[in-house]
Amino acid sequence: MVNLTIDDKQVTAPKTATIYEAAKLNGIKIPILCHDKKLKPFGACRMCLVEVEQMKGRQIPACTTPATEGMIIRTATPDIVKARKMVLELLLLNHPLDCPVCDKSGDCDLQNLTYEYKVNSNRFTDAKFNHQIDYNNPLIERDMNRCVLCGKCARICDEIVGFGALTFIDRGIETKIGCEFDDALNCEFCGSCISVCPVGSLLARPFKHKARFWAMTKHKSVCSYCGTGCNLTLGVKDNKVLTTIYDEDQGFHKGQLCVRGRFGYQFINSDKRLTKPLVRKNGALTESTWDEALELVAARLKGGSSVAALATPRLTNEELALFKKLLVENVGTKNFDHAAGYAHAALTEGFVRSFGTSASSASILDVQKSDLLLVIKTDTYETHPVVGFEINMAVKNKDVKISILSDKRGKLSKLPGANTLVHLPGNEVVILNAIAKTIIDEKLVDASVAGVTGYADLEKMLSAYSADAVASQCGLTAADIKKMASDYATAEKALIIFPVGQAYPGHNADLASAAANLAILTGKYGKEGCGVLCLSEKNNSQGAVDMGFYAQDGGFNAAQILDACSTGAVKTLFIAGENPLVSYPDRKKVKAALDAVEFMVVSELFLTETAAMADVVLPVCSFAEKEGTFTSTDRRVQYIKPAIRAIGQTRTDFKVFADLISKLGGTAPVTAAAQFEEIAATTAGYKALSHVSLRKDGAYAPATASPALVAVQAVPVPAAETGKLSLVVGSVLYHSGTLSQNGEGPMHVCPEGYIELSRPDASASKIAENDIITVSTTNGSMQLKAKVTSRMPAGVVFAPYHFSDAPINTVWNGAAVTSVTLAK
Amino acid sequence: MNPITPIINGMKITLKHMFMKPVTLQYPTERPKVSQRFRGLHGLKVSHSKAKCVACYLCPTVCPAKCITVEAGEDANHDKFASVYEIDMLRCIFCGYCVEACPVDALKMTGEFELANYNRQDFIYSKERLLEK
Ligand code: SF4
Ligand code: SF4
Ligand code: SF4
Ligand code: SF4
Ligand code: SF4
Ligand code: FES
Repeated sequence: MVNLTIDDKQVTAPKTATIYEAAKLNGIKIPILCHDKKLKPFGACRMCLVEVEQMKGRQIPACTTPATEGMIIRTATPDIVKARKMVLELLLLNHPLDCPVCDKSGDCDLQNLTYEYKVNSNRFTDAKFNHQIDYNNPLIERDMNRCVLCGKCARICDEIVGFGALTFIDRGIETKIGCEFDDALNCEFCGSCISVCPVGSLLARPFKHKARFWAMTKHKSVCSYCGTGCNLTLGVKDNKVLTTIYDEDQGFHKGQLCVRGRFGYQFINSDKRLTKPLVRKNGALTESTWDEALELVAARLKGGSSVAALATPRLTNEELALFKKLLVENVGTKNFDHAAGYAHAALTEGFVRSFGTSASSASILDVQKSDLLLVIKTDTYETHPVVGFEINMAVKNKDVKISILSDKRGKLSKLPGANTLVHLPGNEVVILNAIAKTIIDEKLVDASVAGVTGYADLEKMLSAYSADAVASQCGLTAADIKKMASDYATAEKALIIFPVGQAYPGHNADLASAAANLAILTGKYGKEGCGVLCLSEKNNSQGAVDMGFYAQDGGFNAAQILDACSTGAVKTLFIAGENPLVSYPDRKKVKAALDAVEFMVVSELFLTETAAMADVVLPVCSFAEKEGTFTSTDRRVQYIKPAIRAIGQTRTDFKVFADLISKLGGTAPVTAAAQFEEIAATTAGYKALSHVSLRKDGAYAPATASPALVAVQAVPVPAAETGKLSLVVGSVLYHSGTLSQNGEGPMHVCPEGYIELSRPDASASKIAENDIITVSTTNGSMQLKAKVTSRMPAGVVFAPYHFSDAPINTVWNGAAVTSVTLAK
Repeated sequence: MNPITPIINGMKITLKHMFMKPVTLQYPTERPKVSQRFRGLHGLKVSHSKAKCVACYLCPTVCPAKCITVEAGEDANHDKFASVYEIDMLRCIFCGYCVEACPVDALKMTGEFELANYNRQDFIYSKERLLEK
């Protein structure tokens, strides 16, 4: 700590603080324009000038000057005020001052400072800027005439997002922020630059002119896309969510969002939302009333174990727990599951046997505290972009090493010093086993292993997995595998990260255990910066696991439920928010099952392909209309409350389940808070939590690990037949599940399905970018647009799974790797 | 005082007024000439055959009766304009704050005071009705 005097006040501040931070900590406000607490000090604008007595009263920038012992600082002498006024006059000299038509008005730092410092005339005259405004993309408008050259956009895009789309170009008065070759912006559209821009240079086009900042009410919420669990502020006017608002104090990520969180909110108020219950009459879905619809459903739920249910892990914990209660206690069935039945296996089977708990043994905060990250699949960036930001910052600012094991390259492999091993698809477990074998052979095993069960079995099984023996099968060299092993084992702290999801069937229980083995062998778990972090796909995937909403004690899992629908063993199927027809593997099979089942009820926001096949469709609320909790992938339990009133006649799933429970003669809790009390009492780690305590920031539900080594044999991947390519499916950055198809932002940037192939494969089959090609497998064939990139290794093709119009499950039957042929 | 004097005084005034110009206006055949500063129905000023209003949302913000509805649109040149501009005359208190707030001098208050109508709906003046003719 250092002691200093600011404006005649004796204050103390940490040694690392700048004058600005020291003042802020002690409640003294120094105006800033170019400084952002997330970014490195820059000192571009000189708004923060202060006088330091020891420096003979010279004016120095507070945001870049470290506070030192005994400094005597004055922040608002007449001279300083004069200097700041001058800074503003100079900034306004070429500024268009078109506040009436500028969307930033009301939330603009320049406007606020101009007002505060009463700069109502300008001593200087000069021409206004006349830069061309970039309207080339549908999400971000760039008007460099309003720019104050604070550099925040370029810095955030580089320091946090790691994309580097923006930079200063030209010199002197001509300086502006531009993209490469002064071209149009074409980036990953996370909108981070918009959020930090202090003026109206960078604006969100989907929100442009919709409302003034002050006219919206701001509701804190949690993103409903992926498992990262980012916090959002929704800007609401007239019962419409108009935008997401940046709040630099929100969440571990300090307000940073990805493209889905920032630009994907439009599904909430979409015109396509279902507003009335639909009931199938004479073969067609017709509008009906809640009474009729619920009566029908209740009657069909009286079928005991011939009833089955699939729920989306986008529901709240309260809803999932209540749904389970309805099914178990009132219907009397154990047949329920979520996430296609396999996307949660890494947690519910893998971690359960390896760590004795169905939760990850690390949190997202460990990323920056680690020394080495072992990332399985570069897709981690695409599936969980804000975790990707953490990885960027860890590698760039904290010198954390990164090793990547992947079947293709990706953004993460571009990080400085990234060691990427691109292996033949489907061999993750083999390689992890080979790494474990190397760790044992090279005596890098931690002493703590002595007390862990399963060591002997593991050692025995691993004898077949020496790096030399398996390297060529994986398309790697033994030296590479050994290096990765010793890097991991010798790092002081190391964290393994892998994504799971419906598009990643290979990321299963075996992969989780194989990864856990590494952590256990080297003693890298249960400590800061160590562990294995499984990134679950949806916003409440971890919650669905914690609520136990998956097949247990002999209940059918998702695949068995669909089979039972086909055979007639399941007669009533309740689908809450899932869209199996698009997002489950093997479309033909799913379709046959849904066709065969006697009665199907779907509760949904939209009339999805699955809902269109239902007998009863219940219109339900989005996350913005309900109260409850979501559990993020690292078990942060976060509270959400309604930001808008329910749209049309929609009801929350909670109300639907509660009504059905009463119709079946049971009693249901009236409020989500009461249901949460029940959850807290029965769920491991949730004990200390309640809605009231979660209201502000949420809290971690602790999980204690009791490790065991598990010998997992790799399932051999059949080598691609000659002339065929290996198809891997996955998620793309702009989408999450099938919901993001209703977000304008994601659909502007990535509107349709495609198949991505390497340049050698493309030239071999004479396929060019955007060619429509026929993709065939033993399952079927479909047409997809080709995308030729340099990140794919030869012989491997990639396709995203989110799109209703190009459902990849037409050709994909759920295998981790599928042999495909491409034809023009 | 002589009890007759007040009566005479009163009659004098009466007689004087009999020969003065009457104050009463024979409305509607006769119409008042309102002052320049009169605050009647609003008018949206036009320049270059377009409404001057740039939909800055300041008038709905300042309006104490919350009777102004503005929705902004973006035209083909990416210029901002009011795609909706409505004033609910049943709620307007004719304070003139909106005119004062307008940064582009797009709004004025006219001498028009005959605002009676048969339906409540007719008191909601749309942009077309407000544009200065
Ligand atoms: S950037 Fe700020 S000061 Fe400049 S026109 Fe926009 S609102 Fe006004
Ligand atoms: S949207 Fe994101 S990636 Fe694009 S320029 Fe802005 S910060 Fe960079
Ligand atoms: S565009 Fe905005 S954030 Fe970027 S330098 Fe200009 S003012 Fe700063
Ligand atoms: S989609 Fe995931 S990473 Fe993106 S903002 Fe939402 S929670 Fe965060
Ligand atoms: S204040 Fe003027 S420019 Fe702004 S919305 Fe009202 S009339 Fe239009
Ligand atoms: S805020 Fe300190 S120089 Fe800009």
